[in-house]
Amino acid sequence: MSLDQARRIVEEALSGIEYRVDEGKGFIEFIVAKENLVEAASRLKKAGFDHVKSLTVVDYKAEDKFKIVYHASSYLNEDLAKVIVGIGTEVPRSNPKVPTLVYVWRSVEFQEREVFEFFGIEFEDHPDLRLLLLAPQVAEKKPLRKDFIVKEEPIIRTKPPTG
Amino acid sequence: MEGNGGNGGRVYVGNLDKSAKRAKQLVMGKLRMGKAVDWATAFSLWPVHLTTSCCGCEFAATWSPRFDAEQHGALPWVGARQTNMILIEGTVTKKMACAVRVTWEQMPSPKFAIAMGACAIDGGIFYNSYNIVRPWEIIPVDVYIPGCPPRPEAVARAIIELQRKIRKQRVASKWIEEGWRPDREYVKPKEDPCSWWRG
Ligand code: SF4
Repeated sequence: MSLDQARRIVEEALSGIEYRVDEGKGFIEFIVAKENLVEAASRLKKAGFDHVKSLTVVDYKAEDKFKIVYHASSYLNEDLAKVIVGIGTEVPRSNPKVPTLVYVWRSVEFQEREVFEFFGIEFEDHPDLRLLLLAPQVAEKKPLRKDFIVKEEPIIRTKPPTG
Repeated sequence: MEGNGGNGGRVYVGNLDKSAKRAKQLVMGKLRMGKAVDWATAFSLWPVHLTTSCCGCEFAATWSPRFDAEQHGALPWVGARQTNMILIEGTVTKKMACAVRVTWEQMPSPKFAIAMGACAIDGGIFYNSYNIVRPWEIIPVDVYIPGCPPRPEAVARAIIELQRKIRKQRVASKWIEEGWRPDREYVKPKEDPCSWWRG
């Protein structure tokens, strides 16, 4: 299956939903409104995209928004297994809340937890939204946001480490 | 004291601290077993299985048949209470620091620590990261192994280096005599590594 064909399948599945296409070299993302995300995801699932490979967030600090992208692909449909399609939404940085897709794709459960602790994005109706990897003190700094700045340590120590 | 089973079982009651002290005086003083203690400790350095990071792969390779670190008397063991060496394998994250400290506290003394990999020395590729702890902030480290990851030969070398240190400086026997090792300050973490866990 060529990429154009895959694209057509996705476009067909999303017909009736307003979307924007973000395209770059080698990737394609369909960005829908927050309210339509669950609907769009379930339609993609019906079209054959049966799991999410990864979930990623881009912090556009200047434009004051987060872009959340789910990368969906297929195990069972051999043609679709060769492509990965991005489906996502954008939320303002001041109110980072998105509906969860756990009930559409079970494989996003832990990835949403990870995004929650690194970016502080809340997934509404998530069954188990706890911290996954980080200690609470670290997680509350939301370390992968652009406005989290790590304090620079000097490369050369003036004092040898004790102990 | 008569046991209540009726067959005359006995219970001896005494001051354990006192008897232990007397036994220590006998062994270290009159019998002059200090040297033997150092020798025995040096050749039974059992590292505990606590894999903090990717250096753990090289740790496994070190004890594989090809490099065979068991020839130095070191045998990786599962329970912290039966081991006397901790080999920190690379990066220690803030959450893992708690596990390292708890494991270290559980080990019976005399005990030793080796820090493996660039990460364990000063952060390595995670230098300046928000989520790491230097191992020397949580436990007293004896030998550092540079490399990312260090070769198994380097790990074996570190064990030999530690053995030499124990036998030359008589660390183990003095530790038993004095209650704490003579060449070392007690390392106490500046902040509680387990605070995230206690809540
Ligand atoms: S020193 Fe290298 S191999 Fe070892 S834990 Fe660090 S990054 Fe991993």
